[in-house]
Amino acid sequence: MNRIDKNLNKYVCCLLISLYAIHFSCSDKFLETNANEITIDAISAEQAVELVNSTYNILLSWQVSSFSWNAISSIASDDADKGSDPGDTGADKHLFDILAHDATSISIAEVWEGHYNGIQRANQAINRIKLFDDLDLELRHRLIGEAKFLRALFYFRLVQTYGGVPIITETPDVNSPIETLLRRASKNEVFEFIENDLIESINVLPEKSTYADNQLGRATIGAAKTLLAKVSLYQNKWETVLELTNDVIKSGEYNLTPNYEDIWKEVGENNEESIFEIQAKGELPSVGVDQYSLTQGARGVGGWGWGFNVPSENLLNSYDPNDLRRDATIIFRGETLYDGRFVPETVVNPMYNQKAYSSAFTDYQQTGKNIRILRYAEVLLMNAEAASQLGGDVAGPLNQVRNRAGLESVNNPSQIDVWNERRWELAFEHDRYFDLVRQGRAATVLQSLGIPFKVGKHELFPIPQVQINLSDGILKQNPGWE
Amino acid sequence: MSSKTSSLIHITLFVFLFTILNAQNFYSGTVVDENSSPIIGAAIFIKNSAVGTQTDFNGEFILEANIDDVVVMTYIGFEDKEFKLNVKKDLGKIVLIEKIDFLDEVVVVGYGNQMKEILTSSVSSVSGEDLTIEPIINANQALQGKAAGVQIIASDAPGSSSQVIIRGLGTIQGGREPLYVVDGVLTNNINNINTSDIETISILKDAASLAIYGNRGANGVVIVTTKRGQEGKFSFNINSSLGFRNISKKTPMADASSFVTFSNEAIYWNLNSDSNPYNDNSLSYFFPTNQLYNTNWLEEVSQLGLITNYNISASGGQSDIKSFTSFSLNKEEGILIGNSFERATFRNNINFKVSNKIDYSHNISVQLANSTPKSYGVFTSAYKQSPIVPVRDKNGRYGSSIAFNNVANPVAQLNLQNEKQRYLKLQGSFKLDYKIIKSLVMTSRFSIETNYNRFYNFENRLAKYLSLEPGNTINNFQPTDPDAPEIPETVLNVSHNNDYRWFLDNYLNYNKNFNEKHNIDATIGIVAEANKYESLFGSRTNVPEESNLNFNLDLGSNNDGTEESGGGFSEERKLYSYISRLNYAYLNKYMLNASYRRDSANFFNKKFRHGNFFALSAGWFISEEYFMENSPFDKLKFRISYGELGNSQIPSLNVVRFNQGFPYPFGSNQDIQQGGTITATIQEDLTWETTSEYNFGIEFALLNSKLNGEIDLYKKINENAILPMELPDTFGFDPFLSHVGEISNVGAELSINWTDNFTDNLTYSIESNLAYNQNELSKVTNQFFANQIGGSINNGQYTKKVSLGQPLGSFFLYDVAGIDDKGQFVYKDVNNDGEVNEDDRRFFGSFIPSITAASNIKVEFKRFDFNLNIYGSFDNKVYNGKKAQRFGNENMEKYVFNNRWTTERPSSSTPRASNSIPLSSNYFLESGDFFRINNITLGYTFNSSNSKIFKKIRAYATAKNSLILKRFSGYTPELPGNPLGLAGVELDAYPTLSSYFLGVNLSF
Repeated sequence: MNRIDKNLNKYVCCLLISLYAIHFSCSDKFLETNANEITIDAISAEQAVELVNSTYNILLSWQVSSFSWNAISSIASDDADKGSDPGDTGADKHLFDILAHDATSISIAEVWEGHYNGIQRANQAINRIKLFDDLDLELRHRLIGEAKFLRALFYFRLVQTYGGVPIITETPDVNSPIETLLRRASKNEVFEFIENDLIESINVLPEKSTYADNQLGRATIGAAKTLLAKVSLYQNKWETVLELTNDVIKSGEYNLTPNYEDIWKEVGENNEESIFEIQAKGELPSVGVDQYSLTQGARGVGGWGWGFNVPSENLLNSYDPNDLRRDATIIFRGETLYDGRFVPETVVNPMYNQKAYSSAFTDYQQTGKNIRILRYAEVLLMNAEAASQLGGDVAGPLNQVRNRAGLESVNNPSQIDVWNERRWELAFEHDRYFDLVRQGRAATVLQSLGIPFKVGKHELFPIPQVQINLSDGILKQNPGWE
Repeated sequence: MSSKTSSLIHITLFVFLFTILNAQNFYSGTVVDENSSPIIGAAIFIKNSAVGTQTDFNGEFILEANIDDVVVMTYIGFEDKEFKLNVKKDLGKIVLIEKIDFLDEVVVVGYGNQMKEILTSSVSSVSGEDLTIEPIINANQALQGKAAGVQIIASDAPGSSSQVIIRGLGTIQGGREPLYVVDGVLTNNINNINTSDIETISILKDAASLAIYGNRGANGVVIVTTKRGQEGKFSFNINSSLGFRNISKKTPMADASSFVTFSNEAIYWNLNSDSNPYNDNSLSYFFPTNQLYNTNWLEEVSQLGLITNYNISASGGQSDIKSFTSFSLNKEEGILIGNSFERATFRNNINFKVSNKIDYSHNISVQLANSTPKSYGVFTSAYKQSPIVPVRDKNGRYGSSIAFNNVANPVAQLNLQNEKQRYLKLQGSFKLDYKIIKSLVMTSRFSIETNYNRFYNFENRLAKYLSLEPGNTINNFQPTDPDAPEIPETVLNVSHNNDYRWFLDNYLNYNKNFNEKHNIDATIGIVAEANKYESLFGSRTNVPEESNLNFNLDLGSNNDGTEESGGGFSEERKLYSYISRLNYAYLNKYMLNASYRRDSANFFNKKFRHGNFFALSAGWFISEEYFMENSPFDKLKFRISYGELGNSQIPSLNVVRFNQGFPYPFGSNQDIQQGGTITATIQEDLTWETTSEYNFGIEFALLNSKLNGEIDLYKKINENAILPMELPDTFGFDPFLSHVGEISNVGAELSINWTDNFTDNLTYSIESNLAYNQNELSKVTNQFFANQIGGSINNGQYTKKVSLGQPLGSFFLYDVAGIDDKGQFVYKDVNNDGEVNEDDRRFFGSFIPSITAASNIKVEFKRFDFNLNIYGSFDNKVYNGKKAQRFGNENMEKYVFNNRWTTERPSSSTPRASNSIPLSSNYFLESGDFFRINNITLGYTFNSSNSKIFKKIRAYATAKNSLILKRFSGYTPELPGNPLGLAGVELDAYPTLSSYFLGVNLSF
């Protein structure tokens, strides 16, 4: 018995000691588990492309490209009216139509929120991809370039809308003082920041033609130059505008679409004229711009949408009767559309925005409608405008655009000719209000239509009140909106 | 020759001589303990003489003595017993009473035991005996009032556990429940533990005792130790009881005619209200005064509850193998018709002495439970449904109120809920102790716990549709629009949730006394655990409703319009820790204790995985000092401690995830490419909350230890509490959670016990405790902290808010100034800005009581035992949510009807009849103070000395909650739950019940 006991004791002792040893030695390995998902610790070069893709994804949001953005960039201008039923305000769209919006209007808050959300995603992409040493250098540069292009686009829209805004480039450390986190940069500082991002993009992005077919839609050097030209246009930096637009024209990457109306059809997506457009897919599972077509679709019996953001009488009447762009831009009640759809007399409004019309997925939440952000015609118009300031060939580029629209050439185009051409060519492309302000004639033009544009106030939209509150008053309201 | 042996020889010699010289009488008997187990080796001698003997293996003895000799019986650990002999030679069973001596008391602490004498931490112990005096199904409910500073918010719902808060609420986003440790298994609750199996429960309250549980110690730890087999013949215990339950206090409701009067007044006021030009036509219909029905809905949905408990256990063994086995069955038919719960448990605990160095033991328990749940929303429906609605109309269809309100028919609601829940839980721990040398023991323990839970829910949507409105028929069930999708008539949902965890604990314990002066007790070890959770669910539509359906997802085929769907989820958590503790005591007078645990957890981001927790404590047994010799104190001890603890039960999103839900279509074919980013609803550094705690305690005993007690003062601070932040949209992140707050709990605990006997036949004890706790969100360290609102009562009104300087769970309401000349509420313009709006809400105190008090009185008189437990909690508020939720054409309390404002009888406190949603105001807030008789038990132990079978027969009667004094007008002021949810708000709550039991305890 004693002997058995002793042996047993020995064995158990050995067993326990080895158990302890094993236990002690494998602590780190033990804690490794197969994760169900990627956690922040595990983000690596493999996620680089996804980080950038998610930044593009913001372009599909309601706040950045759809209902709220239309209120500011379109309904507020003389091109568009609120539309829809008189009783349906679209929350605050009726206010924008008569410039009666204020700092508490929901669209004001949403546009701010959406663009900063995009900036946050771009920052994540840029700051993380920078550290992925094992990623192919060329791809790494390109991806950062794409993200910077998008970040520049977001900041450009913010500076157009709100003036100087806080510049956020990192994940904010919520513990640092609010003054440093939320200080409003000046308008010039924001423009400078945008220009730096775009110059860096230009250095690394490829031409459109060098992208594989399945990568179409990514930012290109042409897009970055065009956007930089536009950013310069808004600062009256005419030499830069001229130089960059000449570059784009000479690149041979782009051309005008022969038939203007085709640009907004399915066949016109990413065509020769397209420099940058928001990609959308209508087929299920659909990935498109949130309710962009739906909110602007014809309303009422026989219609397919909510009927907001409709062409104004003033826009309609401004077109030359021979201008092909009028019917390509406007859906008329009683008209049969290019795809054979009849728009019955029972719809509520006399006109709708044809550029938002999706033929195949008419009333889907997310249609296949690609939104054109930058296209070759605008390059020509910017080229013409810069030339008219600096004394160059204005008629050449301008007439290319005119002729395509079925209009005759003009010989000595004036500044107002260039501006009008811009209006007709780019109607409903989210520029008109900012253009009027830039051209310094917003007050004249809008007041003549009875819209109470107030000089010293309406050049900018107000900073959302909720953001001012959350910033403990560090964010200061724009003049006239206090 | 030692003095003992010499005296023994003397005695023997003396006895021998005596025997020869005197013709003596032989007295015989058996010495037993209170459980009737024989006491072996008890000394029996004649007072003031050297004559004596010892009891044998069966506790029996024979003593030669004379009439009128005084016999003394002694045994270590038991009170001495003296009595005079008379003519009766057979002394029968003589019971020795166990000595209650604090010096020998052992307390169970984390990963070991400690002598109470040298304990330097705050630990409350409850003995299993105190739990079996009365019938209790759920062990944690039995803790109510038993330990100071342990607040139990009881729930009487079948199968439910009560909420346990130890030393105040220390977290708002994290888990609030304490950690439970059952024979070494770390677990979430003790619902599966048969109360009769419990030997002791230790409640660890301060950092000194909790630090060894590291990142799970912050909410306190409840250690349950189950009974083990005793050496000796197998003995059996049977406990059985039968009980009835009903609602303690019902709220009187308006009857049909009152309802009609009130509702018509409301409609009248509504139509005449200037401020409401768009009157809802559905509310503009006046009720006829001659109503056919007068339904009392609460009576229709409730019944007398019935509880039956059976428990049998067997214990026994030899010196090297001992076992304890038990089996129990509990069944409860709830007071809500159809609501039931039944539970069976089995336990087997074995101790096996393998060799002189090796001890093996295991504890295995199995629990099976079946529950038929019913929505407690039925209590709200029964409160709100109009008495003019019949249970069933003359055609036999469920009565409907769809024409005038949106309340379900409570009886239909009950009958149409077809749900079952089945639980299986296995717990087992297997332990090996290896004695390397006498004072050094190596322990290895492997434990497992697995839960297998299955939930079934059969929805008969057609039957529900038919019950809604008299006009509903099977023909109009489907939508008229041919394009609309078909509505399934029935849906069967099944889900299976598995939880499997294992623990491996390896530790060394060294315990040695040097020179009878220095006592060292050290523990060091490594523990690891893993927990895998898996969930699977499926559903199928249009399954046939058959009584033998048995929740089978296989019924119906895809061809006849059934649709299936399913899903699942899994998670794995792992923890790896080092533990250590060192106790040093000098002369058992000066004590020092240090403990340390390092935790590494896989469920935090890598950089924030490791955490260190420690505690230091010291004690001074001042009554052992020579200068205290003449003091009145039999015992006086001071102890002081400081330590840091963690709460790792933080919200489940505790790992920042790469969120892949942001695709974008590239290319001419518009192929969707995956997009991902960090949207971060939490901060990257989210990890456990760290609590630091100071404790100062005094233990004392006076008057020959008849009076003893403890006083504890503590300050407990959660230094990095997780709170929600609302960031400016400029940051581009969603609102998120971060460590930006500090929650403090400061309190005092007092417990006082008095034990005495008037005569040999009448002993009594009074154990009382009192606790005070002050809770506060004491600091917020970030500018973006969002005052979080909560306590929504589902009608757009919220009732609570988390705010700096306020206790957690504070009510934040409009302040009623009075009733205006139109009978409507007037609210105070708190900020004096000329208008009453959101900014005029103010704080009214928390639902968490700051004072709890209890007293436990035990009296034993001859064969009777009497136990009285009273409990109260004070200084808190409760919100009458069901009353505040009352809306158009719903029923009202009789009091509200009788006291309403009318033009003839303007009231200054109760508004006029109204059909609109009231703002959440202090009108609905009431005092939560209550005081009640938790338990009265009267038992009688029969004389079993003549019985050959039974060692003990006891019968008892118990009344629980027979008397409750409360100010709250609702069903119950005890409203457990989420502090940001319905805790402290009575809505869909289970009422407090009064229960009456009869039971027996048998031993043989």
